[in-house]
Amino acid sequence: MSETPFPRDPGAPEAAGAAPEPPRPPAYTPGSAQPRLNRPVHERYPQIRPTSGYGDPRIRHTGPGPGAGTEQEPERSSKLSARLTLALTVVIGQLWGLTIVVDEWMAGDTGTAWWGAGFLVLSFLVVLGIWLVDPKDR
Amino acid sequence: MSVTDPQPPAPDPRADAAQEALRDRIAADSLTTRRDYLRIVATVSGGLAVGGVAVASGILHRHGDSEGAPEPKKVADRIEPGESLAFRYPGDEDRAIAVRMDDGTLAGYSAVCTHLACAVLWRKERGSEGELYCPCHEGIFDARTGEVTAGPPPRGLPKVILIEQVDGSVWAIGTARSGESLVEGFCRQNGDDRPGCPGFGAGGPAGPAPKTAERSERT
Repeated sequence: MSETPFPRDPGAPEAAGAAPEPPRPPAYTPGSAQPRLNRPVHERYPQIRPTSGYGDPRIRHTGPGPGAGTEQEPERSSKLSARLTLALTVVIGQLWGLTIVVDEWMAGDTGTAWWGAGFLVLSFLVVLGIWLVDPKDR
Repeated sequence: MSVTDPQPPAPDPRADAAQEALRDRIAADSLTTRRDYLRIVATVSGGLAVGGVAVASGILHRHGDSEGAPEPKKVADRIEPGESLAFRYPGDEDRAIAVRMDDGTLAGYSAVCTHLACAVLWRKERGSEGELYCPCHEGIFDARTGEVTAGPPPRGLPKVILIEQVDGSVWAIGTARSGESLVEGFCRQNGDDRPGCPGFGAGGPAGPAPKTAERSERT
């Protein structure tokens, strides 16, 4: 039996020499330090189809067992869903605002139309902030 | 299945393959992730913001928007009660409709529905005294005021200021926007120093009297 339970990735960088003291656990950063491992799944494994197997009628039991492959960090997923929901809500408000802007402009109230345009731009900045609030998120 | 049941026909390999392909396509997950959706939503939001600024800065055409005051234009020699007349005023792209109601009231409006810009028609037989009707989505406008009485239009029709001369000819002399009175529209286009406008006689020489003075205004 070899020293490590898993075979070594031949593309992986060589391990540094043994440190004199145990290294501190690194802070969590999503993804890998190697860009080639951060590519989308369908680029890394062209053989794997988007269904991840369950669309293949030949496969009856997928995965190693219950719980495998599920979300490791559910709070991160929840935050993403919340951001998407917030952005959608703001865009619905923008659609309403645009109807008001058109209405006021056609009725000749240009000042109110400009206020409405400002509201739309402000809403866009909010959506932009929601989008860019977590750029490190993979 | 009993032995007397007819055997199912042998599956057609071509149909089977097509079915398999369809099943695969339906079962496949979309590759669009929530992050992609977030990016799409942000793009749509930016487009709406740009659209709002474009609207406020005047990308949409309003009925009667033109450089300076519109010139008076003879619309018809005569309009009989219950009749309507389609014309264009003040520009060639400004479609309008003149209506003479049974009691002699003369009214002019933009003929472009404020909902989705369909043509507005005069329907004499509808309502108690006729009404302006948009057939696209059943929008109905009051023939006396131009305000919305039913249907989806968000605002009343812009007005065309019509006057009738003593010989019965009908002239268009100006326009008023939705929600604006005829006097407000006329004064906005021709200046406040005209008789009947707020600024008339408020200092300085008054402007020339409008040519409508000798006409009988019945709008």
